[in-house]
Amino acid sequence: MSRALILMVAATVLLFAVALGQGDQALTPGEIAGALLGDPTTSPVASMIVMEVRLPRALLALLVGVALGVAGAIAQTVMRNPLAEPGLLGINGGAAFAAIILIVGFGLRAPTLLPWCAFAGAFAMALAIYLLSWRNGASSIRIILIGIGLSSLAGAAISFVSAFGDVAAVQRAQVWLAGSVYDARWEKVTILAAWLVIPLGATFVISRELDLIGFGESSARGLGQRVHVVGALAVLMCTILSAAAVAAAGLIGFVGLIAPHIARRLVGHRHLRLLPAAGLVGAALVLAADLIGRTVIAPAQLPAGLVTTLIGAPFFGFLLWRRRHVAG
Amino acid sequence: MSQADPKPPAALAASDLSTGYPGALIIDGLDLEIPRATFTALVGPNGCGKSTLLRAVARLQPLHRGTVLLDGRAIAQQSTKEIARQVGILPQAPEAPEGLSVADLVRQGRYPHRALFGRWAEADARACADALDVTGLTSLQDRPLDSLSGGQKQRAWIAMTLAQQTAMLLLDEPTTYLDLAHQLEVLDLLRALVKEQGATVVAVLHDLNQAARYADHIVMMKDGAILAEGAPDATVTQARIEAVFDIKAMVMPNPVDGTPLMIAVTRR
Repeated sequence: MSRALILMVAATVLLFAVALGQGDQALTPGEIAGALLGDPTTSPVASMIVMEVRLPRALLALLVGVALGVAGAIAQTVMRNPLAEPGLLGINGGAAFAAIILIVGFGLRAPTLLPWCAFAGAFAMALAIYLLSWRNGASSIRIILIGIGLSSLAGAAISFVSAFGDVAAVQRAQVWLAGSVYDARWEKVTILAAWLVIPLGATFVISRELDLIGFGESSARGLGQRVHVVGALAVLMCTILSAAAVAAAGLIGFVGLIAPHIARRLVGHRHLRLLPAAGLVGAALVLAADLIGRTVIAPAQLPAGLVTTLIGAPFFGFLLWRRRHVAG
Repeated sequence: MSQADPKPPAALAASDLSTGYPGALIIDGLDLEIPRATFTALVGPNGCGKSTLLRAVARLQPLHRGTVLLDGRAIAQQSTKEIARQVGILPQAPEAPEGLSVADLVRQGRYPHRALFGRWAEADARACADALDVTGLTSLQDRPLDSLSGGQKQRAWIAMTLAQQTAMLLLDEPTTYLDLAHQLEVLDLLRALVKEQGATVVAVLHDLNQAARYADHIVMMKDGAILAEGAPDATVTQARIEAVFDIKAMVMPNPVDGTPLMIAVTRR
């Protein structure tokens, strides 16, 4: 294991520990350890705070971050564009739109149904982007422009549904939409974890195929890759990951964009390392964002999605600025 | 290896090859044979279909009609990975992900030789080291590709194709965008592969004089059809050049090695 990877694991574990300790009621490391290990001498209050509130919340943030980071890495590779990201492309927007219809339109709150619905929305969006940008092959820049357009459309549709929905349901939906792990319960954590197993595993298995597909169609096919099969599989995995993350925590922007960039700096381009690194960086980012969001103006809370956007939007600008000389 | 055959099949053959867009075929009913262990140059004016032909025989472009035979076996009946173990192709202006190192690029050449879960083997490492050595890039292997000069970059791509260890190489304009010294460097490398390792090389070239000097076999194309093919002496002639390129030209023996030397005089 490389030094960078150890560093990332350490940073994530540290953030995780801080997330368990920080809050309205600060806990000592001893109390946290006691609660986690089920030590009977730990106070029941500390135990309850850790096991029922902070641990599921930290785990949810961690899993959402992993999903967003890996999904971003896949999208950037398959689109061969460092600005491509499920959030920017509207895939997350599609998931959110489908979910908002379920929440506001039908007044449903079933956490098991939400991921399926989000996946349907994300999948429909990915398909729409692909079909609309297809013209003798789908060029990456066309995909991104159409994605950004459809993303705005999804945003408008969400506002439209919200404007006419039942006020209480809309309010609930807004909290969720803003991108928050506020409402973390064990049920949500296990559902998200279950949704991530297959796409994360499959993506890891095809990591070498992802290395190659980044070279573009001609080179990859010349080397014997079945480019369309690999591309479709990768986009499907990316869609599942994005949808699961959105269903669990709403729209947490820019993590999918930033995490792969940081990961690439740390471990290079090979996906065998890049994917776990992007997942770890994503996890650290969401954990940190949630931690900042709930401590900086405590007792009030900022949603993690707001914090990541505050950090991410300037980063996006920086990427554009740095690439200003890159043609095409 | 195959048994002693009185007449071995051509390294690459295409018959009745048609490709392009539906209703607008770029190549219609073309036959081609590439002799084994030679350097073949594909030449012709812009838009004559030489790149399309190269891409079509390398299965990068769907065929409308016709067959392509590799060592006598139809490529349509082989898996794309199987073909990649026999033919390396360097597309025109290939693109690599930003920030990739030379070594990581060259590694990709081993893709067709590895199974999905296959480990990086000794043979893979050796093939990469050899490819870097032949192209003179060993000392640059950890550098990011973006930081290299045009000539070095092109060599890195050729190194990737060499790491593939195929008996045949197809290259689409491998010398375009290179300065003269780097053009000669690439051509010398390709010729050495043919002479020393018995490789079969097919390259789209723009410079007719370079083609005449370096290639053993020249295929001249115009409007999607082959107008002439054969040794440089037989193909690079005044009449052929005028027919293919629509220019008035003079041809004389090259003082360096006696190969035909063409001077473009005027447009016709």
